[in-house]
Amino acid sequence: MGKIKKALLSKQMVIAYWVLGLVVIWEILAVIIEHTKRTPENVLPHLHQIAQSIFSKDLVNMDQTALQIVLSNTGITLQRAGIGFLIGIAVGYLLALIMNMFSWAEKVVFPYLMIIQMIPILGMAPIVLAMTKDINKSRIVIAALLTFYPVATNTLAGFKSVMKEKHELMYSMAAKKSDVYKKLLIPASMPYFFTGLKISAPMAITASILVDTLQGGGGLGCMLSQSLKHAMTIYVFWQIVFLSAIIGIASYYLMSVIEKLISPYKKVGR
Amino acid sequence: MEIEKLQDRTNVEKLTTVLYPVLFGIFIAVLWQTQILHKILGTDTFTLPLPGRIISIIGDNHATILKNVGATLIVALGGLTAGSLFGYLLGIISTAFPKWGAGGLTVVSAFNAVPIIAIAPILNNLTKDFSKDANTRSMLAKMLVVMITCTVAMSINAYRGLTELKPFSLDLMQSFAASKLEIFFKLRVPNSVPYIFTALRVSVPACVISALVSEYFAEYIIGVGRQIRENIVLAQYATAWAYIFVACAIGIIMYLILLTLEGILLKGRR
Repeated sequence: MGKIKKALLSKQMVIAYWVLGLVVIWEILAVIIEHTKRTPENVLPHLHQIAQSIFSKDLVNMDQTALQIVLSNTGITLQRAGIGFLIGIAVGYLLALIMNMFSWAEKVVFPYLMIIQMIPILGMAPIVLAMTKDINKSRIVIAALLTFYPVATNTLAGFKSVMKEKHELMYSMAAKKSDVYKKLLIPASMPYFFTGLKISAPMAITASILVDTLQGGGGLGCMLSQSLKHAMTIYVFWQIVFLSAIIGIASYYLMSVIEKLISPYKKVGR
Repeated sequence: MEIEKLQDRTNVEKLTTVLYPVLFGIFIAVLWQTQILHKILGTDTFTLPLPGRIISIIGDNHATILKNVGATLIVALGGLTAGSLFGYLLGIISTAFPKWGAGGLTVVSAFNAVPIIAIAPILNNLTKDFSKDANTRSMLAKMLVVMITCTVAMSINAYRGLTELKPFSLDLMQSFAASKLEIFFKLRVPNSVPYIFTALRVSVPACVISALVSEYFAEYIIGVGRQIRENIVLAQYATAWAYIFVACAIGIIMYLILLTLEGILLKGRR
């Protein structure tokens, strides 16, 4: 008996109960809305209705079902978010390295790194689109912009976190500067670097979806706004809502998995 | 002599810390005003107007701009307050029932990765019946979006602040036969104050950004974020840039206010 009780109250189960609770709340709201609204599926459909639309074989436009539309556009969005994300990582990491090597560079750039965090870059999406004149390019630029500063600030914090004694040890062993970076600073900065990645991965995806809504040309955001304008079935919208939530959460966990693969011995207490 | 030299050096350090970024800022401004920046980015003065022109537009339209700033501020601050209070409440509940609370917070933190874009349209539809006035009901929808983003940061940090106490402090309170309520008000709440500011450092910039983005999807056309978009659709890039300037200023000023408050309230605690 005790074992069953323990299993039922384990951490995973507690999370499962919470999810179940949210589902119940959703369904209660859905029932209320079903009886009060004329078009309940626009406001809050039942979860099973959304699930049904995922498996339905009805064509939504010329030749695709709702799920096919959503998935093919997810590919477009993710690809652009991914490219921007990678560029942002590279730029952010390089910037952190340069700032750590040259103190004047840190002095010049660091205040602006702080300021840029307060600038609503997503609000600037339309203007980037106007400047690059190409929706694909602007998607990449925005995703990269949103990625680079969490990576840069967190990595720099990682470089700075190395204890003075370790520097002194390296110095006493007459280690070359490249060795200090290779063997001490870069490994030490890894947990911080991944903290930056975990912050920026969902942001890059949000950015990419938002830029989609600004113009046609495919992508999740584009389908989302078309579906909201009733150019196609509203269930495309609901599928996208759930899918984007799943992608956002998955991107966070993907970074944790990569972190564990790269540095399996470091337990990060952050 | 030696001490004087050292003092000189710290003075030089202090001076360059301020001087370098300011020089860099002036350098960029000069590049911008002389249109060299336009050549680097490959744009023209139509899409990226000169700083002087942007400032003169802000001066000319200050009445309209202030109205929109007001709308955005109400949304951002209202959402920030509601979200932080609710988040702190969640933190308290989780502290009272740690077994259930920790799992609940895991679920809440998953919301962090859900793109705002997916939440905003749902809340728009849900709040349709709230008021006859389009401005009021879309204000509520926007505020709820901001609230969700701010709740997450606060609940996690509040929980940490209320539970990660100094070693043996809890034992000390218990040895004084302090009641649970006394422990809560005299130990846990004061302990959580720095954590509240950690949360606010995340949620203050986030509340501005999510206010701007939720305006994109709102029914009623008002707010700084919406004006950026509307003016771009009309190809009024200079006006859009004026609103971007204003949006950045809002973010930076709110963050500075937070830092000042933190400096006053946490004096001697760090």
